[in-house]
Parts: sequence; structure tokens; C-alpha cells
Amino acid sequence: MTEFITALWTNPILLLALVAGLAASVVSGIIGSYVVVKRIVFISGSLSHAILGGIGLALWLERSQGIAWISPLYGALGAGILSALLIGWIHLNYRQREDSVISALWSLGMAVGVLFISQTPGYNVELANFLIGNILWVSPDDLMLLFGLDVVILATVLCLHKRFLVICFDEDQAYLQGVPVHQLYLLLLVLIAVTIVLLFQVVGIILVMTMLTIPPAIANLFTTSLSRLMIFAVLLNALFCFIGMAAAFHFDWPGGASIALIAGVTYVITTILKR
Amino acid sequence: MTSVVTLKDVNFAYRDTPVLSDVSFSVMPKQFVAIIGPNGGGKTTLLKLIMGLLQPNSGTIEVFGSSPQQCLTEIAYVPQALRFDRQFPISVLELVLSGRLSHLKWYGRFHEEDKTIALEALRTVGLQDLSDRAFGNLSGGQAQRALIARALASKPKILLLDEPTAHVDSQAEADIYALLQQLRQEMTIMMVTHDLRAAIEQVDQVLCVQGRVTPLKPQEVCEHFAVGLYHLPLIDLSGKDKQ
Repeated sequence: MTEFITALWTNPILLLALVAGLAASVVSGIIGSYVVVKRIVFISGSLSHAILGGIGLALWLERSQGIAWISPLYGALGAGILSALLIGWIHLNYRQREDSVISALWSLGMAVGVLFISQTPGYNVELANFLIGNILWVSPDDLMLLFGLDVVILATVLCLHKRFLVICFDEDQAYLQGVPVHQLYLLLLVLIAVTIVLLFQVVGIILVMTMLTIPPAIANLFTTSLSRLMIFAVLLNALFCFIGMAAAFHFDWPGGASIALIAGVTYVITTILKR
Repeated sequence: MTSVVTLKDVNFAYRDTPVLSDVSFSVMPKQFVAIIGPNGGGKTTLLKLIMGLLQPNSGTIEVFGSSPQQCLTEIAYVPQALRFDRQFPISVLELVLSGRLSHLKWYGRFHEEDKTIALEALRTVGLQDLSDRAFGNLSGGQAQRALIARALASKPKILLLDEPTAHVDSQAEADIYALLQQLRQEMTIMMVTHDLRAAIEQVDQVLCVQGRVTPLKPQEVCEHFAVGLYHLPLIDLSGKDKQ
């Protein structure tokens, strides 16, 4: 562990990676808490995979079509927001087969992403980075965007938390109190999509759900207030990130998988102990 | 005296399945109305129509002379406590404050006044000592009373309740009825119930819902009860039509 801390001081790339991980921990703890208590984990899973479509498209435009200003992060952001609105629309208007339609979107997004990446010569190896994450790959520009998104999400949640709480608990009550339930539900999905974009850089698309849902699920075993649950989830996320990266550094493991492993094992142990 | 809730020739179907047909009735201010009928007869649907959560296929619904959407905050709804996720992290006070949500400032803070009103509502239902307790840790009767407190915090003119005494013990049931008797002085109450004794003894009007809605006086229910209320059809609608 001391070796890891020394390395942080001497290696700016590693420090940058850790800062990105901690920045992602804050929003994923907060937004993930809504995901867990509203039980929309499946929807979030679909969102996280659908963004590969946008990443693939952006990569293809950048590398094959020579549009230099497009980065995979923009593609992910665009695809995430679009999928969030689409899923929200399905939820509000097509409830009978909601889960099937959402799983179709899940596969469709991934299929589009894989096809575009396959048409981008010489970059197939990057597919693995997007899927399982490579936190060492975060650039200072990306980090600025991540911080910007962090601030936007935090400010939005600060103003809307009490409304989100009621929408998560009882939509009918929110409606009777004149809250624009449908619009805020769509906004919540968009916030989840943006959070996923922040996270996929750290742990990759496949493991995003680890950071989004495991810490709030653990926190829910110990607290009965949503705001305390959020704080607890943020701290757990930061802890998993730190220990996961230290383990990855020490054993030369992939960072995303190390974080996911530690989070997953902690969840299993706490669930068994709390029984 | 003008009515509080008026339904005129209302028809409602879930897709192709008709649930309510030709529903017309009105409720006067401060009436206590019981809504009875077999399961699947459309009782909860009727409440949702009055709240504007569902739209009728035809006919008109008026609340205080306008559409339900225009006077939402005059209506408060008490759903069945069982419907909720027991693991949801929300305290009793947070729950009751959600009855003040329409007064929340844009930046997400409640006025002190809203907190006072929420605590007052908790006192009315006798849960003032449990304000910090998790909603999921309350007993069935306490949870139901907490939901009534949430409704009262919004200071409604119409209180809609969906089987408030189902799944609670007899003491909790008595408490809830005593509370409703106190509240009927101040507001119009419409309560879905399976408790026929309550329907007969406590209320001013009974709406019998089984695809159609038949307004009855409580003493008429008594007669039908004698001939076996829970046999379908609940009452002889064909006979009523001929008259």
C-alpha cells in the first residue's frame, strides 16, 4: 500500500486516474442511490450498454472520417442521453412489454458500437478498453469534462432531491402535489446516463453497474434515510476505488475488474453477515 | 349547495376491458362516502379517475366545478400501506413532508411553516413520537396513520382513502375510524372499504361499484347485506334499471 501511495506522488498518470475515480465515486454514490431505491437497475444496465453505440460512432467519425474534434466521450454522452429519453418514453407509453423493449435497446446499442468499431481500421483493441475500462487512459481534458459534469449533477440533485425522493417512493403523491412527474423521471434517467458516462472511463461498460448499484445496496442495509444512504455510498465507492486501484497497481491487475471484485465481495459478505 | 365531485355518464376501459360504465353521481361538501363492491369492480379505478390519474373514455368528471387536474392540491390520497417497499429509506417525517411538496421552494428547501404543519399532522394521527422512525419499520396501523398524516399535511378539501383498515388489527381500525369521524367535520371523505359495518354505521352515502356505480343510502346497504352482499351481482341492477 505504501508503495502505491509513493507511486501516486511520482506518477502523475496514476494520480490523474485516482482523481478521476474519486470524482466518479461522488456522483455514482448519489445517483446510484436513486437507481437502487427506485429499483431501476435493469434500466440502468441497458443505458450503460447502449452507450457503446455512441462510442463506436464517435470513434469511427474521428478515425475513419477524419472529424478530429469528436471524442468517444462525446459519443457516449450523446448516446446516453438519447437512450435515456427513449427508455423514459418507452416506460411512460409502452409498459406492457417494457423490459423486453429495454433489453432490445441494450443489445442494439452494443451491436451498433461493435459494428462501428469493426469498421474503424486498426482500433479493435480499444473495444476491450471500453468494455472493461482503463482508468490510466483518462486525459486531462477528459478530467475537466468529468469535473464539469460532476458539478452539474450535484447542483441539480441539490435542488431536486426532495422531489426525486417522492417520485422514487410514490409517483401518485408527487403528481397530486403538482410535481411534473414525467419530466423529472426523464431528467433522472438523463442524470443516470451522464453518471454512467463518468463511470465507464473508470471501470468500463460491463462493470459500470458495480459502482452504480453495489455501494448504495450495501448502504441500504445500514441506514433508513436516503440522504445518509447517499453519503455512505459515496464513501464506500471512494474506498473501493482506492483499494481497487492499489490492488491493481500491486498485482498488475486490470483496474476496473479489481474495483468491481472488491465491491462485489464486500456486498456478498455484508449481506451474509446482516442476515 | 354545489357538489364537490360530480361524475356524469363516465365510461372507462383498460384497453378493451370495460371497467366502469355510465357512471353518474355527485358528492356534496363534507359528506362521508363509502365505496364498496367486489374485487375488480372498479373501486380504485374510480378514485384514480377522480384524481385525474386516469382519463375517462367518455363523460365528464368535475372536482369543484373544474377538471381534476386544475385542483390537484385540493385532493389528498391515502393508498394502502402494503403497496410500499418496506426497505425504502424514508423517515416518517420525510413522508409527511411530501404532503407539502407543492410548497417546496425551487432550490429544494421547505419553509419552517411546512415542518410545523407536518408535525401538527403527525400529532393529529398520534405519531408525533415516531417522526424519525423509518416508514418501513412501522406496524401496519401506524403506517396507515402516517399516510393519513401525509394527506392531512397538504390541507386537502377532499380526502380519498383506499381500504385504510385492511390488514390492520382491531385497535388500529378503531383508531382510524375515530380519526375519520373527527376529520369529517372539516373535509369531504371518500373511502374504499370492504368493511360493511363501517359502510353502514359511519357514512352518509354508499357508492356500490361493480362495473356500474349505484349510490345508496347506508340503510339500503343493510337490506342488501341481509340477502348476501358478496354474491354477484352485488345488488340487482337490472331491477333498478326497470324502475
